[in-house]
Amino acid sequence: MSTLIIGLSLGMLLFLLASGLTLIFGMLGVINFAHGALYMLGAYIAFDIGRHTGSFVAGLIGATVLVALAGALIERLALRPLYDRPHFYQLILTFGVILVISEVVKVVWGLGYQESTMPPALAGTVDMFGSTIPVYRLFVIGFGALVSGGLFLLIEKSTFGMLVRAASSDGEMVRLLGLPVASVRMAVFALGSGLAGLAGAIAAPLFPIELGMATNTIIDCFIVVILGGLGNIRGAVAASLLIGLVRAIGYSYMPSWVDILTFSLLIATLLTRPQGLFFRATRSA
Amino acid sequence: MVTRIKTRPGRLLGALAVSLLFAGSAQAADPDKFKIGGVVSLSGTYGIFGEDMRKGVEVAIEQRGGKVLGKPIQVIWEDDETKPQPAVQKTTRLISEGVQVIFGAVSSASSIAIMNIAKQRKIPHLVTMSADDKITVPHGSRYTFRTSNTLGMEQRMALSFTKEQKLKRIYGVTADYQATRDSWEWYRREAEKAGVEIVGADFAPLGNRDYSSIVDKIARSNADGVALFMTGSDAVTMVKQAGQVDLGKTRKIFGPVIADETMAAGVGPASIGVYSGVRYHFSVDNPANHKFVEAFRKKYNELPSSAAGEAYDGMSWWLDTVEQTGSWDKEKWVTAFENSVRENSVEGRKAMRACDHQAMQDGLWGVVEKGVAPAPAYTMKIAKVFPPNAVFDPCQP
Repeated sequence: MSTLIIGLSLGMLLFLLASGLTLIFGMLGVINFAHGALYMLGAYIAFDIGRHTGSFVAGLIGATVLVALAGALIERLALRPLYDRPHFYQLILTFGVILVISEVVKVVWGLGYQESTMPPALAGTVDMFGSTIPVYRLFVIGFGALVSGGLFLLIEKSTFGMLVRAASSDGEMVRLLGLPVASVRMAVFALGSGLAGLAGAIAAPLFPIELGMATNTIIDCFIVVILGGLGNIRGAVAASLLIGLVRAIGYSYMPSWVDILTFSLLIATLLTRPQGLFFRATRSA
Repeated sequence: MVTRIKTRPGRLLGALAVSLLFAGSAQAADPDKFKIGGVVSLSGTYGIFGEDMRKGVEVAIEQRGGKVLGKPIQVIWEDDETKPQPAVQKTTRLISEGVQVIFGAVSSASSIAIMNIAKQRKIPHLVTMSADDKITVPHGSRYTFRTSNTLGMEQRMALSFTKEQKLKRIYGVTADYQATRDSWEWYRREAEKAGVEIVGADFAPLGNRDYSSIVDKIARSNADGVALFMTGSDAVTMVKQAGQVDLGKTRKIFGPVIADETMAAGVGPASIGVYSGVRYHFSVDNPANHKFVEAFRKKYNELPSSAAGEAYDGMSWWLDTVEQTGSWDKEKWVTAFENSVRENSVEGRKAMRACDHQAMQDGLWGVVEKGVAPAPAYTMKIAKVFPPNAVFDPCQP
């Protein structure tokens, strides 16, 4: 049973990170390689704000807002001129953004590990099902569920969501209707980046904060995006939980096979349902 | 002292062609300068270590007035990006530029790659960081020397700690790659011989991000000791997540190389009480070390890390040996170094072993404690010093 709790917490953490990636991927058609670097930037910003203010919540908000602003800036200055070019331009650009962010982090915070402490209210443990579970892991599960609900409502039920979906499906038509497609795209990129920053802030107390912190996690995120279906928030939640549980069960019974299990799941999906495990066919005119 | 930093990646074919063209001139010593080729990680996983090694070498050169054999010393620094392939390319290029010695690398894979080139090109090669035992094997390379620790001596200290603490049941967690697997298998065999029960053994992928499931398994086991055969980010993540369920309060957490000031900074309070093998440490009490720590703090306004200390120690020893030969003949330097003894090393006495080119030295075993300024917030305290014969096997013929 404790494996289930650990799996859920791993999955929710993954969802927080992958949701921004799937949003940008699904709505803008941009494969954002720099998503992991934005996650790392979020962790560093949350750590620094937390260190100076002593407030975990301030770090959480600060990291989300500042990384969202950085995302808006990246979209406006670098990505916007490339929307009409082939995809590999965007790949190379976002790869370049990784290098820039890494250098900025190196200059501001140095090469060493940084450590972010847990907020005292969430620092304890509870005994459940014969295991000791950190309260923070339970918080991650709850917080992830809250964010996924909020995102679902924003994309599926709000006017902004409707505009985003319309711009994603036929940007030219939406523009001709007099709606600001460019601003919508920038808002989506900023929102996706902000989610990466938020994920970094949530992950900061669990992991060492370092330059390479996104390397392995980002691969799992791309798996989530593929499994969940492009831009599908519900799919991303389900795929994240699935990967989290596979990893938790793998670590419990055969740790050296964890990566093989995860990648087997990806290969099986690509072979049998390349449009994603949770893809829903949409009606077209 | 002249220092040049080059980090742009080179092209293998170009470098090879140039090196072949100038192979003859590479062998001839440049009488105007003593050139050192430093191939270290300035980026990638071990980027932090390379930067510190550079600082240590710069202090070593400054302390001798920037000269050896009456000529100015020039260090050409190259970044191997913590990968063997760039290490090969850059070493080849440095040799073609006429360096008299190669210094580096950080990762063992890079050092072994450099070792093979140095052997072919008959260029002395100094290792002060990589710990893989394969770098110094009996009758290995005539040109490669290691003045720092081996993984072998660190695993012996871990075993000795297990016996001294009278630990009876060990849970082992190992990063899943060859050097650490070999080390764990040796430890497991020797621990079982000593009557220690291995109650669990997990091999987590290198660069693993979450150990909570493994930590949970350890917490539910009856282990009284947790042996970690990993280092860097893996060790930091594992110890940090073990701390989230207070595993260290009920079990001894230890490993060959799982803690130093850099790693403890990433772990935070959970690092207190964790035991590990220690390489150079700024707290070693001898006049040579006091002088070095003072010079380092004056130049960089910080205490030297283990990477900086080991680099300083190895380079000072090498340059002193070169000076004593009074010659520009590389073969004479190699012969002199393989029979040399460093009485005033910053880590105490070190003696180069001619059979495998490994410096015999004390083994330091430490525990993380809360630091008092100017020491970092979490600092290693040397808990035990092992004499060389306790941590090295005799050279086999």
